[in-house]
Amino acid sequence: MAELALSEVHGRRTGGRRLRPTLWWLVTPAILFFVLFFLIPIASLFAISFDKGAQGVITFQGNLTLDNFARIFTRSLYYEAVWRSVWLGATVSVLCLIIGYPLAFVIARTLRPGAALLLTILVLASMQLDMVIRLYGMMVLMGDNGLINTALMKVGLISAPLPLMYNSFGVIVGLVQVTLPFMILSLVGAIKSINPSLEEAARSLGSTRWHAMRTVTWPLSLPGVYAGTLLVFALAISSYVVPALMGGWKVVTLPIHIYQQIAEVGRWQFGAAIGVVLFGTSLLAMAVYILALRRQAGGRM
Amino acid sequence: MGDTSPIPLTFRLVSGVALVILLTPVLIVVLSGLNSGEYLTFPPQGLSLKWVAGFFTSPIFLPAFLFSFGLATVTTIISTILGTMAAIFLTRSRSRAREVLRGLFILPVVLPGVVLGLALYVFFAWTKLGLAGSFPGLLIGHVLVTMPFVIATVTASLVDFDLSVEDAARSLGATPLQAFTKVTLPIIQPGISAGTIFAFIVSFGQFELTLFLATPDMQPLPIAMYTSLRYAFEPTAAAAGIFAICLVTISTLVTSRLVNLKKLLRRR
Amino acid sequence: MIGSKGISRRGLLKTGAAAAGVSLFNINHAWSQDVTYDGGVFDAGGATLNVAEWGGYWQETQNRLLLDKFQKDFNCRIQYDSTFPWFPKFVANGPEDPPIAIANWNLPEMYKTAAAGDYFVDVEEIRANVPNVAKLWDFASLGGTGVTWAFSRYCYVYRTDAGPAPTSFKDFWKEEYAGRRGTYITSNTLQMDFFLGSCATFGESETDFDAGYEAMRAAMPMKISDFTGNMATLVERGEVAIAVQSDAEALLQKEKGVPVDLYYWDEYKGILTQTKTISKYADPMSKRLAFALLNRTLEAEYQTAFANEFWMRPSNRDAVIPEKMAALGVVNSADATDGLHIPDWQAYLDEEIDIVETVNEIFAS
Repeated sequence: MAELALSEVHGRRTGGRRLRPTLWWLVTPAILFFVLFFLIPIASLFAISFDKGAQGVITFQGNLTLDNFARIFTRSLYYEAVWRSVWLGATVSVLCLIIGYPLAFVIARTLRPGAALLLTILVLASMQLDMVIRLYGMMVLMGDNGLINTALMKVGLISAPLPLMYNSFGVIVGLVQVTLPFMILSLVGAIKSINPSLEEAARSLGSTRWHAMRTVTWPLSLPGVYAGTLLVFALAISSYVVPALMGGWKVVTLPIHIYQQIAEVGRWQFGAAIGVVLFGTSLLAMAVYILALRRQAGGRM
Repeated sequence: MGDTSPIPLTFRLVSGVALVILLTPVLIVVLSGLNSGEYLTFPPQGLSLKWVAGFFTSPIFLPAFLFSFGLATVTTIISTILGTMAAIFLTRSRSRAREVLRGLFILPVVLPGVVLGLALYVFFAWTKLGLAGSFPGLLIGHVLVTMPFVIATVTASLVDFDLSVEDAARSLGATPLQAFTKVTLPIIQPGISAGTIFAFIVSFGQFELTLFLATPDMQPLPIAMYTSLRYAFEPTAAAAGIFAICLVTISTLVTSRLVNLKKLLRRR
Repeated sequence: MIGSKGISRRGLLKTGAAAAGVSLFNINHAWSQDVTYDGGVFDAGGATLNVAEWGGYWQETQNRLLLDKFQKDFNCRIQYDSTFPWFPKFVANGPEDPPIAIANWNLPEMYKTAAAGDYFVDVEEIRANVPNVAKLWDFASLGGTGVTWAFSRYCYVYRTDAGPAPTSFKDFWKEEYAGRRGTYITSNTLQMDFFLGSCATFGESETDFDAGYEAMRAAMPMKISDFTGNMATLVERGEVAIAVQSDAEALLQKEKGVPVDLYYWDEYKGILTQTKTISKYADPMSKRLAFALLNRTLEAEYQTAFANEFWMRPSNRDAVIPEKMAALGVVNSADATDGLHIPDWQAYLDEEIDIVETVNEIFAS
């Protein structure tokens, strides 16, 4: 009932000609799909995280215990990885936004259609390489004997190689390289759907370019910012290959622990428990972010 | 263009930085893939197309590429349809449940693929519907991890969509479907195309999830590459990338030409 | 090791019988014994055989050298699953519904699966049904469950342009290699064996794990790699000057022209094995085909041809070492296999949880 009343109000606001028909049929297939193939399987797997650890057992046994979680929160190896994963995900999201927004803006707003096309192709091309092989390219660039270090040493700026890889810096650069296209393409859609005449109007009323950007373009592109940052955060926090190859096992994140426990050691109860912690942490981080963003955007999200 | 250009100089500079970050590793790999030597190395010992040719004659890599391409195409179609429908609901419904749903729909991306893959495999094995190690089972997993991308990008482009435009079309006699396809769809098209691109690329490059769900016999490309790279960094993997880059360039060019052509025809 | 295995197996049989009901268990057991194979060719009538092996170039080679002809000869279809790990797949389906009839393993994962339930045919049953087992070196069938058909030795691969060549296992710890020595993550069999080798060399035995931890600590800073191919690249790029490696991989790299050479561990002759198991409760036709395929895998000619591609040594006494390997000093003789050692994986797996955590902590420091 409440929904009906609300939609009526809404209908009136946007023209008032008709009652919006119920929209639930649009989302029902997706909901069914998610419940059947996501919620049920994941819940069954997460249930075993409350089971006593046992080698070679993958189904729920009912030997309830919190040992798996106790282990995570008493060993620095694990609880530091929780914080590290969140920190990496957040840093990468912010960096991608700062670096990606301008390029997205250029693609969406350039007056030369050829340039937009070329830039789009370049962004798409950067996503076409297999991850492992792409990180090989990063290693050639950033390794101790990589192009950057060799060049700097030749010029005489440094005497020993800079530690560009096998640390957090390397992981961040790797993650930015991999996730940046997702940010850019999310933003391009959002910026393109803003009517350029709004900016022009602001400028013709005497706004500087930056002022128009800050007061018109940026707020109107926030839905894209929201989508892009969330996607990048989710991709970064769940990535295994990048921290594994760029971090040289010095930057151990939750997905690395999960991968080891599930695919290699075979301690599924414990692996599932780390999965639960990663899941919970990500949700919390995203909820905080969404609330903060919503306050800023004034309910447009 | 000077001051009339809509793009500030700072933006151009940062865009340059973004392009360097995106493209330098790709350039290195492409050059290594054109190496004429025996192994993946940089700088290349001489340029040749022998590894690209090797990719096309490989009984493993080319079929794997085609399989992944087909899988990604089917995945993208399903994800785009289901995801766009869900996104329309999320932006137009006033139901409280939509916040919960929005959260639900992004969850598969948050989890590492290996968790989701194992969960689905155990679920498939347990239900005994024959989904474990089958193509439909693999497809379900891929739709699950790609739909969040479609939903996120389409929602973003729909949030500010002015419903009165659609209503205007309706008041001029358009059916809801006509109003949607003629008015709404063209406006949210950038969001949908970003979503389809993500869905395709995420599916095409999906590795961890596929580990548990892949069908025997038909190997998706990332698995074929990883299992080869485990032993030796073969230039064939770089060659597959070169082929993919050519493919995406050509298809983007063709699509944009088609779009331009359509626009031209419409103008006449 | 075989002893401890026997005990754990008996324990499992007991619990398994109790859980499943003795009669049911026995029926399955009797049924599974019905299959016999004598080494000949038979018509499988188009049946499907589920095989699990590594993918990529490996798969390409197996098809060319073995599987294409096998499918023709036996009129069967092979479903090739290359998406490791197999362990969760076996466990998720249970012993009596194996998704794979014949699987190729590295030993730790195989033992882990064997310990989780009654999954595999034991060596005695294999010996009775696979005639070629009689032609193997002894070590190849000592594992209790699977049969080893190829192996490589562990070594250090080192860059020849990075100073004097190493002459002992302990040279890896030399000061000049600080930050330029490489090993693998704990789940890589190469690191497991390197760890056990360190326990043996620095401590009292290969199960003296505290000595192993101390050695790992002393080796830091070290470059840690995920898998073999990545390490090969680190060596090729000069990021790493000395690395733990299997000789197959190192020889392959040398053949390609990378300036490297090998130091074989003489102090601790652990081997990296390729071992095949047959699933006990595979359906009878699959099981018979699996015996036949294993028999072909153990043939001398095939093993020679395979060695020529992957630089792995044959386990068949009569197999000829390919010329390019022989030129580098590899021989297939009783002397050469003497002293080769299959590590005590059971002892390792019993402590695996602690080892993984402790070594992860050391690597991350």
